Amino acid sequence: MANASLAAEPWPSSSPAWTRGPGRLAHRHLSLLRARVMDQETASAVRLDELLVAVGRLRDRDAFQTLFQHFAPRIKGYLLRLGAGASLADDLAQEAMLTMWRKAALFDPAKASAATWIFTVARNLRIDAIRRERRPEIDPEDPALVPDAEPAADAQMAQAGDESRLREALKVLSLEQVQVIEMSFFADKPHSAIAKELGLPLGTVKSRMRLAMARIRTKLGDLR
Amino acid sequence: MSITHHPGEELLIAYASGTADEAVSLIVATHIALCPQCRRAVRAAEAAGGVLLEDLKPARISDGALKAVLSRLDSPVATKPPVAKAVTDSNVPEPLRSYIGGSLQAVSWIPVARGLAYRPLFRRGASRAQLVRSAPGAGIAMHTHRGEEFTLVLEGGYGDTTGHYLRGDLQSASAEIEHRPIADEGGYCFSLAVVDAPLSFRSSAIALLAKVMGL
Repeated sequence: MANASLAAEPWPSSSPAWTRGPGRLAHRHLSLLRARVMDQETASAVRLDELLVAVGRLRDRDAFQTLFQHFAPRIKGYLLRLGAGASLADDLAQEAMLTMWRKAALFDPAKASAATWIFTVARNLRIDAIRRERRPEIDPEDPALVPDAEPAADAQMAQAGDESRLREALKVLSLEQVQVIEMSFFADKPHSAIAKELGLPLGTVKSRMRLAMARIRTKLGDLR
Repeated sequence: MSITHHPGEELLIAYASGTADEAVSLIVATHIALCPQCRRAVRAAEAAGGVLLEDLKPARISDGALKAVLSRLDSPVATKPPVAKAVTDSNVPEPLRSYIGGSLQAVSWIPVARGLAYRPLFRRGASRAQLVRSAPGAGIAMHTHRGEEFTLVLEGGYGDTTGHYLRGDLQSASAEIEHRPIADEGGYCFSLAVVDAPLSFRSSAIALLAKVMGL
């Protein structure tokens, strides 16, 4: 299992995948091609949302199977990229699907897409199972929580079609910006280490991140 | 109340992506309980995580995994005993409230210097989270940082050469900042401090004391 984990390590630290220019450019080219099938993508994202609602409300097993086939391999891929061994990644992907089944009733498509919701499930499971840490989270019912002054309708608007707009936002980011965002999600190291790995001053990494997030938020209609 | 000092984008993203350690996550999560603007930023970063997940190359799931999971769907869930919620008359927001078990006044403070007390919360690897209480006008001795120091004001306020900080404000201080934070007059200042390396005090006597106290 230990060997499998080494073999499965997708990002050897000597030559990280994101530093290979052509690969990234090919990925970018694919992204542009994908833009043309955006409508289908939006439709399929909405479908995933509906399936997850069906699991939550109706305990729909067929919907669950479809979601499993779609998300379990992606969650395994996510855990592998973060350095988990193949067999642990497989186990945790299954656990994530089980958590999805149990907590699906909490899913609110007005607040997040199915992919975003499942990402947070997988993220928390990894923190719990691999890092063995608590995940500090706000309590939305907490009387000490400062409520959002924005009208709910605006927030609602920012959610509908979220994913396709986010994709658009990610497409207009520079390669450098995409790189730091991807590393923040998949490299599991502090930003100082990311900066070192890229051979950049920390300030540069931070400003790329700031610009990237500003663009993402602008697309989502939340100007900071 | 208006928050003017926010965590950097990289902190919000590290929290949303789950790569921040527990101490940093705690201070960011407590800040976003008080700051709707950063809360939205974290939601946006999580949505980016959803898109990245969606675009990841799927890995092959082991044979029989689906069957195994389907067979477990109806098995009873081993529910964790419900965590008793900390008293809610406290103005300390979650998630910090559960870590301290109630109000700031009820914390058992350890005095470290005149007007200054602290309470370590936990340590994970190099990161430590602690509460700090400063009497009006009291200050923390001049220090710089070997790593990064994050301070979130919970009650009252303080100032240093970089600005003035009130409830909900989060100050990030790195190696290049040397400061001597002084609590505002008129009341105690309570804050949550997270450091990822020991502070570096200018006075060697204070440095020794800090080392003994584990500051």
